[in-house]
Amino acid sequence: MKYAIINRMDMGRWFDSLKDRGKIYGPKKKESAYVFRPIQEFEEMSLKYIPTILPPKKYYFPQKEFLLKFKINPFSTGKAIREFEEFILFGVHTCDIAGIQCMDVVFNEKPADPNYLNRKEKMTIIGLECMDYCDKYASCAAVGTHVYKGGYDIMLTDLGDEYAIHINSEKGDKLVTGKKYIREMNAKDKEKLNKAFEEKLKKFNNEFDGDMERIDKAFEKGFFSPVWKDLGARCVGCTNCTAVCPTCYCFDVVDEVSLNLNDGDRYRVWNYCQMDDFAKVSTGEDFRAGRDARQRHRYYRKFKYSVQKYNKYFCTGCGRCTRTCMAKISLVETINQLLSGKEAK
Amino acid sequence: MSKPKPKVAFFEFTDCEGCQLQVANLGASLLELAKVVDIVNFREIMSEAGEEYDVLVVEGSVASKHDEERLKKIASKAKVIVAMGACATIGGVNNLKNLKPLAEQKKAVYGSVDPVPDAIETKSIDEVVHVDYYVHGCPIYGPEFLKVMECVLLGKPYNVPQYPVCVECKQNENVCAYEKGQFCLGPVTKAGCNSWLPNYGSVCVGCRGLIDNPAADAQKDILQKYGLTVEGILDKFTLYCNGKKERAKYGKESQK
Ligand code: SF4
Ligand code: SF4
Ligand code: SF4
Ligand code: SF4
Repeated sequence: MKYAIINRMDMGRWFDSLKDRGKIYGPKKKESAYVFRPIQEFEEMSLKYIPTILPPKKYYFPQKEFLLKFKINPFSTGKAIREFEEFILFGVHTCDIAGIQCMDVVFNEKPADPNYLNRKEKMTIIGLECMDYCDKYASCAAVGTHVYKGGYDIMLTDLGDEYAIHINSEKGDKLVTGKKYIREMNAKDKEKLNKAFEEKLKKFNNEFDGDMERIDKAFEKGFFSPVWKDLGARCVGCTNCTAVCPTCYCFDVVDEVSLNLNDGDRYRVWNYCQMDDFAKVSTGEDFRAGRDARQRHRYYRKFKYSVQKYNKYFCTGCGRCTRTCMAKISLVETINQLLSGKEAK
Repeated sequence: MSKPKPKVAFFEFTDCEGCQLQVANLGASLLELAKVVDIVNFREIMSEAGEEYDVLVVEGSVASKHDEERLKKIASKAKVIVAMGACATIGGVNNLKNLKPLAEQKKAVYGSVDPVPDAIETKSIDEVVHVDYYVHGCPIYGPEFLKVMECVLLGKPYNVPQYPVCVECKQNENVCAYEKGQFCLGPVTKAGCNSWLPNYGSVCVGCRGLIDNPAADAQKDILQKYGLTVEGILDKFTLYCNGKKERAKYGKESQK
């Protein structure tokens, strides 16, 4: 069974059946925003949500992750985490799934990252298709992440009274087979799904003023564009745009010794190119001393360097960087200004 | 382990003792610390005369000639000096005194009498003696104090984060104050407190001092965009970020 149907009324009990597969994390309301949190009951979740403050990245690449334990005298080291736990991400939007795919590429590159791979292996992804824009900050259509293209175990599409289920892995298959209330999709359902998809596509349009080919060109010749100076003057350097990005993977490694001055932990913490001293080296030189150079770097990391290196855009169009920026620096506007080739305001 | 335990002395100058209270509140961790160091002077407990110590922890800022001389004398006996709390590290709230000429301030506070004839402009302690370690904050953040003490005992430097409070705030997944129409100094304030105030729904007031390279102009832009008056903005910055060192950081920005 590759496609299946579940009645909306049965979602709660299906959710309950997932509980013994591992801890479930899903989107939940927090004040005016949304966050991924551990979920006990299906009703706790807000499945109609705009991208969460932090992407679900925090579960497979945590803000602070212990790497190893050590003793100074006599010297020894050992694994910080013996066993990784099974977990389910419930209701992940396609843009965030694209983010996971980006991380896969990065952390699989040799030398592969065991911590990431261990967590990834224990992760089950249940996606949720967006049938309309989350809000005006998204640019997922431009990079094609508004539609599902693999990278999940199960994808849910809201069809009103029921959800279409696309099963994309053996893991996913195990979650739905043998449930009396989940049936295989028939021709009529399939037609309904296709129709909904067509309707959805009408709502999504390239958010940029040019296609990706033009954007590639704009980045090729845009290194000295005045756009970056403008961003540099407005950016306050809070680093939030990189903190919330589902494809930012930089980290710093820290050793901390406990008060007995003998036992310690080594861990890694998120680190961002928007930090003032990120590109500073021990001799004092700073390769990206200005906020203009740092902002440019951020954009090039999403739209050019990653294409050169991995043949992939590292922007999923989730819009988080724009939403979070207190200086109101907008990704779509920046790209469009770069495309226009004109002097920035 | 027969090595003698390093002696740690706490001294205070012009301040509210809130930071020492934070240390006293460390509970179990303080007992752990007491296992590896000897605390030889905790203000009231002992007199400063004749005491010997390796590590000097100074709380409070220098506000009089007497303070200055006393600090120099105390410091000369120490191998390592730790500045603890905003008053010691950046001058703290005491800096407000420097906003107007000393004579004028005295008159406003004491009227015609002058009980502190040797008062001087507020100084952070590194304006008087060399400081090896900084524990910022008003009050200090207990877990950071412990981290610094670990570094002191291991003889390695403690690097105060050069990134802003927003870094920690976002990692804690707080809803940003700016989303709620509040004005937060997180973007220009040194991190290290684990975004203590924003975690409780309050805004960062800048007590840890400005990051070394604050985008003060851009920040003022933003505050203005959100409808705060210029005066209000200056007030926000003035409470803690008024020390000489802090002021110099603005200068850097405007020249660029
Ligand atoms: S650059 Fe912005 S829109 Fe693109 S993936 Fe990162 S946070 Fe999302
Ligand atoms: S950016 Fe696109 S895919 Fe992501 S949540 Fe918004 S509409 Fe959905
Ligand atoms: S979120 Fe905005 S202000 Fe903050 S670092 Fe990014 S671009 Fe600059
Ligand atoms: S609440 Fe303050 S510290 Fe937190 S992200 Fe917003 S501006 Fe930064």
